[in-house]
Amino acid sequence: MGSLFRSEPMCLAQLFLQSGTAYECLSALGEKGLVQFRDLNQNVSSFQRKFVGEVKRCEELERILAYLVQEIHRADIPLPEGETSPPAPPLKQVLEMQEQLQKLEVELREVTRNKEKLRKNLLELIEYTHMLRVTKTFVRRNVEFEPTYEEFPALDSDSLLDYSSMQRLGAKLGFVSGLIHQGKVEAFERMLWRVCKGYTIMTYAELDESLEDPETGEVIKWHVFLISFWGEQIGHKVKKICDCYHCHIYPYPSTAEERREIQEGLSTRIQDLYTVLHKTEDYLRQVLCKAAESVYSRAVQVKKMKAIYHMLNMCSLDVTNKCLIAEVWCPEADLQGLRRALEDGSRESGATITSFMNTIPTTETPPTLIRTNKFTEGFQNIVDAYGVGSYREVNPALFSIITFPFLFAVMFGDFGHGFVMFLFALLLVMNENHPRLSQSQEILGMFFNGRYILLLMGLFSVYTGLIYNDCFSKSVNLFGSGWNVSAMYSASHAPAERGKMALWNDSVVRRSRVLQLDPSVPGVFQGPYPLGIDPIWNLATNRLTFLNSFKMKMSVILGIIHMTFGVVLGIFNHLHFRKKFNIYLVSVPELLFLLCMFGYLVFMVIYKWLVYSAETSRAAPSILIEFINMFLFPTTATSGLYAGQPSSSSSLVLESLWAQEAALGVHLLSTCSGCCWPSPRCPCPCSSWGSRSSCCGCTTGAAASGSAGGYTLVRKDSEEEVSLMGSQDIEEGSTPLEDGCREVTCEEFNFGEILMTQVIHSIEYCLGCISNTASYLRLWALSLAHAQLSDVLWAMLMRVGLRVDKTYGVLLLLPVMALFAVLTIFILLVMEGLSAFLHAIRLHWVEFQNKFYVGAGTKFVPFSFRRLSWKFSDDRA
Amino acid sequence: MLGSAELCFNVDHGYLEGLVRGCKAGLLTQQDYLNLVQCETLEDLKVHLQTTDYGNFLANQTNPLTVSKIDTEMRRKLCGEFEYFRNHSLEPLSTFFTYMTCGYMIDNVILLVSGALQKKSVRDLLGRCHPLGRFSEMEAVNIADTPSDLFHAVLVETPLAPFFQDCMSENTLDELNIEVLRNKLYKSYLEAFYNFCKDHGDVTAEIMCPILEFEADRRAFIITLNSFGTELSKDAREALYPTCGQLYPEGLRLLAQAEDFEQMKRVVDHYGVYKPLFEAVGDGSGGKSLEDVFYEHEVKMNVLAFTRQFHCGVFYAYTKLREQEMRNIVWIAECISQRHRTKINSYIPIP
Repeated sequence: MGSLFRSEPMCLAQLFLQSGTAYECLSALGEKGLVQFRDLNQNVSSFQRKFVGEVKRCEELERILAYLVQEIHRADIPLPEGETSPPAPPLKQVLEMQEQLQKLEVELREVTRNKEKLRKNLLELIEYTHMLRVTKTFVRRNVEFEPTYEEFPALDSDSLLDYSSMQRLGAKLGFVSGLIHQGKVEAFERMLWRVCKGYTIMTYAELDESLEDPETGEVIKWHVFLISFWGEQIGHKVKKICDCYHCHIYPYPSTAEERREIQEGLSTRIQDLYTVLHKTEDYLRQVLCKAAESVYSRAVQVKKMKAIYHMLNMCSLDVTNKCLIAEVWCPEADLQGLRRALEDGSRESGATITSFMNTIPTTETPPTLIRTNKFTEGFQNIVDAYGVGSYREVNPALFSIITFPFLFAVMFGDFGHGFVMFLFALLLVMNENHPRLSQSQEILGMFFNGRYILLLMGLFSVYTGLIYNDCFSKSVNLFGSGWNVSAMYSASHAPAERGKMALWNDSVVRRSRVLQLDPSVPGVFQGPYPLGIDPIWNLATNRLTFLNSFKMKMSVILGIIHMTFGVVLGIFNHLHFRKKFNIYLVSVPELLFLLCMFGYLVFMVIYKWLVYSAETSRAAPSILIEFINMFLFPTTATSGLYAGQPSSSSSLVLESLWAQEAALGVHLLSTCSGCCWPSPRCPCPCSSWGSRSSCCGCTTGAAASGSAGGYTLVRKDSEEEVSLMGSQDIEEGSTPLEDGCREVTCEEFNFGEILMTQVIHSIEYCLGCISNTASYLRLWALSLAHAQLSDVLWAMLMRVGLRVDKTYGVLLLLPVMALFAVLTIFILLVMEGLSAFLHAIRLHWVEFQNKFYVGAGTKFVPFSFRRLSWKFSDDRA
Repeated sequence: MLGSAELCFNVDHGYLEGLVRGCKAGLLTQQDYLNLVQCETLEDLKVHLQTTDYGNFLANQTNPLTVSKIDTEMRRKLCGEFEYFRNHSLEPLSTFFTYMTCGYMIDNVILLVSGALQKKSVRDLLGRCHPLGRFSEMEAVNIADTPSDLFHAVLVETPLAPFFQDCMSENTLDELNIEVLRNKLYKSYLEAFYNFCKDHGDVTAEIMCPILEFEADRRAFIITLNSFGTELSKDAREALYPTCGQLYPEGLRLLAQAEDFEQMKRVVDHYGVYKPLFEAVGDGSGGKSLEDVFYEHEVKMNVLAFTRQFHCGVFYAYTKLREQEMRNIVWIAECISQRHRTKINSYIPIP
C-alpha cells in the first residue's frame, strides 16, 4: 500500500564493470530487470560508440535469422515458439554460433538457388507445352475460317497451310510465338500494329490456367500468341517489341511432326525435372527442419546480446581503460539484488576482480517507479495517461481505485446494467490466464487490460442502482413502499380531522387525472424506504423533478468532497517536500476558500434536509436564493434557514473573500519566502539561493575548463553537492539524502517569473473552484441521461411487446426480447458506459488532480530482457 | 479575396498534403549532415542513416555496401512514396503528378536512344533509368531510327506525345541531334507544365510559376554554356530556349548572341534575380560552380514553397528536395568511399 501512495525512493548508483565481466554482469542484470541505465555518451553519435562492431555483428546475425525464418515460413514448417528464454550466449559461444549460422545461410542459399533454377526451368517447359497445345488450334482455326482473311490470301491462310508455297512467293514467312501477361496484350497488339504497319498477323488466346511467372513468382493469367510476319526487318522489330513487353518466346515448330516430337521431348524432360525438383525440395526441407529447431532460441539469444551491447554503449570508460563505468537508477529496495547480480555476473565470467557498485548522491530528479500488480495496474495506467507522477509525489491512483468506479457508477446507476457489466468483467477475470485472452489485440485487449476496473465499475453500479432503485429502468419493491395511498381517503380519518386536510373522496378520484399524495396527512408517509429511493416514485408524474433535485444536490456534495480531498492531499505533498510554508500559504487559504463558499453550500443542503419535515416544508427557503443573497449582503431582513443566518453567512463570504485575497497575497509572500524567509527552521531557501548560484558557477566553470567527457562533469557536480549537503546537514541536523533540499535544481531563481506563476495559479484556482463545482453536475446530467435512455428503450420495445394479447404475444416477445437485449448491450452498456467512463476520467484528471498532482515525472524504464519482444513477426516486418 | 483553393483544396488533396508535409519533416537536418560527414566508412553511413527517416532501408543489402546500392535504395524509397501519392491523388493533382514524371521520362527516353546508338545493352540502360520516369513502352524506344518513328511507334500513347510536335524535322538520330531533341522536348514540356500551372491558378500558380520560370531560365543558361564551341548555330540555339522564363523575350535573344561566359554575364546583369547567382560563382578552383549555385537557389525556392498551404507545389518541391538530399548523400558517400575528404563539405545544405 505504501508503495502505491508514493513512488519508490531511487538512488543513483555507479557500476564499475571490469571490462572482462561487463557482458556477463549486464546479462545478469537484464534477466532481473532492476536498473535503468543513463546514457553517458549522449554527444557521441551512434557509429562512434565503443561496441558498434558488436552491435553490427548482432545485426548481421539477425539478418541471417530473418532469412532463415522467411525460408522456413515459405516451406510451411511450423516454428516452435517456446516459452523458455535462454540466457544471453557466453562470449565464447558467439563466434561459434556466428560460424554455424553463416554456414547454414550459405548452404541454404545455394540449395534454394538450385531449386529456383530448376523450378524456373520447369515452369518454362510447362509454358512451352501449353503454348504448343494452344497454337495448334490457331493454325487449325485459320484453316477453318479462311474466308475472313480474304483480303490477304497470300499472307496467311495459304502460307499456313503450306510452308513451301510461301517460298515460292520469294518471301520468308516467320513465326514468333510465346506467352504474354494478360494485362499487356492490348498495348502489345497496338504497338505491333504501329511499328510494323500492319504487316503482321497476331492471333492470341487466353490460357485457361494461371501459371507462375518464373521471374517474380506471381501466379497470373497468361495469353498465348502467335505472330506471323513477312521479312527479316519486321522480324527483328517484332522480336524487340516482344522483349519490351517481357514476353516469353519459344520456338515455333514449322511442321506437325516437329511439333509432336518437341511435345514428346518436353513431357519426358518435365518428368525428369519433377523428380529432381522433388529431391531438392526434400533436402531443403531437411535442412530447414533442422534449422527450425534452434532458430527460436537463437533469435532470443541474439536479441539479448544486442540489448546488452546497446547498454554497454551507454557506459563510459574510466581513465585506465580497464573498467567500464555505468550510471544507473536503482530503487533503494533493490540495491541488494543489484549487488548480487553483479557478483553472479563476475563469478560466471571467472574474473579475479569482481565488479562492484556504489551509490552517489545527485541533484537530478530520479525517475518514478510505482510497482503495480494486475489489480492496480489499470488504475495506474489511467493516471499515467495524464502524466507520470513527479518523483515521490502523492499518487492519485491509490484513491482512484475507489473514487473512479464510484463516480462512474453515479453516472451509470442501474442495478441491471451494472450486474451485466460485473458478470462480463468477472468472466474476464476468471479466465485471465487464458492465452488467447491475454494476447488479444484491439478492442478485446482494451477490455481485458481494464478488467479489474470494469469489475469494480460493475459492482459500484449495482450499488448506485440499488440507491436509485433502477433495474433496466424499472424500480424494484424489495421492502414495501413507505407510502400508503388508502390513508388519503377521507373515510379512513376521523371527521374532526377531515376539514383541515385535502383528502380524497370518490368523486375526486373519479374526476381528476392526477392525484397528489400529501405526506403531512398522518398515515400516508410511514417513514423512509430502507435502501435508496422509494419504488412508488416510479408511478409518480413528478418523479423526474424529485430525482433531478436529489441528484443535483448529490453531485455537488460529492464534487465538493472530492475536491476538498484533493486539496488535503496537496498538504501531504508539501509535508513530504519540506515546504511547510506552502501549507500555511497555499493549502490553508485554498481550503478556506473552498469550504467557506461551497462547503457552506453543502452545509445548507444537508441542514435543510435534516431540519425541514413534510409539515414545515412550505416554509423552507430556497437554497439557491440564499446562496445568491449571501453574496449580495442583503440589508433587508429575510427569513433564513436558521436564526442569525444572514450575518453569519455574510461573515463567511467575507472570510472566503479574505481567503481569496490572502491566497493571492500570500502566494506573493510564499514566493518572497523563497529568497528571504527569515526562519531558523528553514535555512534551505536563503542558503539555497546563495549556494545555488555558486554551484552553478562551479559547474559552468568546470565545463568551461574543458575537462574531458561528460562523466567527470557529472561526478564533479555531485561531489560538490555532497559538500554542500554536508554543510546543510550540520546546520539542520537532519538525515542526509532524504530531505527536500535535494529537490532544489540548478535553475536560475527568477523572482518575477515565480510571482507571475503564483498570481496566475491563485486566480486560476479561484475561478476553477466555481467552474469545477459546476463541472461535477455532469454526474447528475449523465445519470439522468442514462435513466431516461433506458426508460425510452423500455417504453418503445418491451411495453409494446407486452401489450399484445396472449396468443401472438408469446411469438412476438421473443424477437422483442432479443432486440431489447442487443440494444441494451450496445447502446446502454457499451456506448453509455464509454461516455460515463470518459466523464469519470475527466473528473479525475481535471477536477481532482489539478488540486495537487503535478505529473511531471519520467517513468522508470528498467533494462530488462522481458521487455523485448520474442515474436518472429517483428523480424519480418 | 478568398480563393477557391482555401475552401475546397482539402476535400480532395488534404490528406496527401498532410502526408507530404510529414515526409518533408523527415528530411535530414543539419545535425544529420554533420554526423554523416564524420563517417569513416559506408557502414558508418548506413548506421547513421538508420537513425533517420530512412530507417533500415539498407538492411537487406549484403556486404559489401557500395554507393550505387545506397543510391538505388534511396531512389526506390522516393519512388515508393511518389507512387503512393500518385495512386491516391485526384484531378487536377494527378495530372500535376503526370507532368512531374514527364521530365524524368524525357531523360529516360534520351538515355535509351543514345545508349542504343552506342550499342549498349538495353538491360544495362534500364538499370540507369530514373524509376520515376518509367513507362511500359520505354524498352521499345531503341527500335526507332528517326524521331518521327519514335513518335509514331512508341511514344504516341504516352504523356510525352504532345511535346513531340516540334521535333519531327530531324531525320537521323546522331549525337548532336539527340541533344537537340532532348532540349526541344524539354522546352515544350516546360512550357506545357507552366501553362498548366498558370491555368490552374490560385496558390499553385503563385508557387509553381516562379519555380518553373527559374527552371526554364536555368536551362537557357546551360544550353548557352554547353553550346560554346559546338557547331550549333545561333538561331538553332535560340530555338531551344524555353520561352516561359523571366528571360523571355529580350534576355533570350541577347543570350543567343552571346559567345562566351563574359558576354553571358553581361546579359545576366540586366536581371536582378540572376545577377547575385552569377556573382557567387567562383573562378577556377576556389568557389562554387554555376551548377551548385543554381541548385542552392532551387533548394531555397522549394523550401519556400512549404510556407504556403493549399497548393500542389509542395509535391514538386518535396520531390526536388528529396532528390537534392539524395545527391548530397551520394556525394558524401562517394567522398567517403574514394577517401577524398577535402571536398566532402561541398554538398548543398537544405535549410
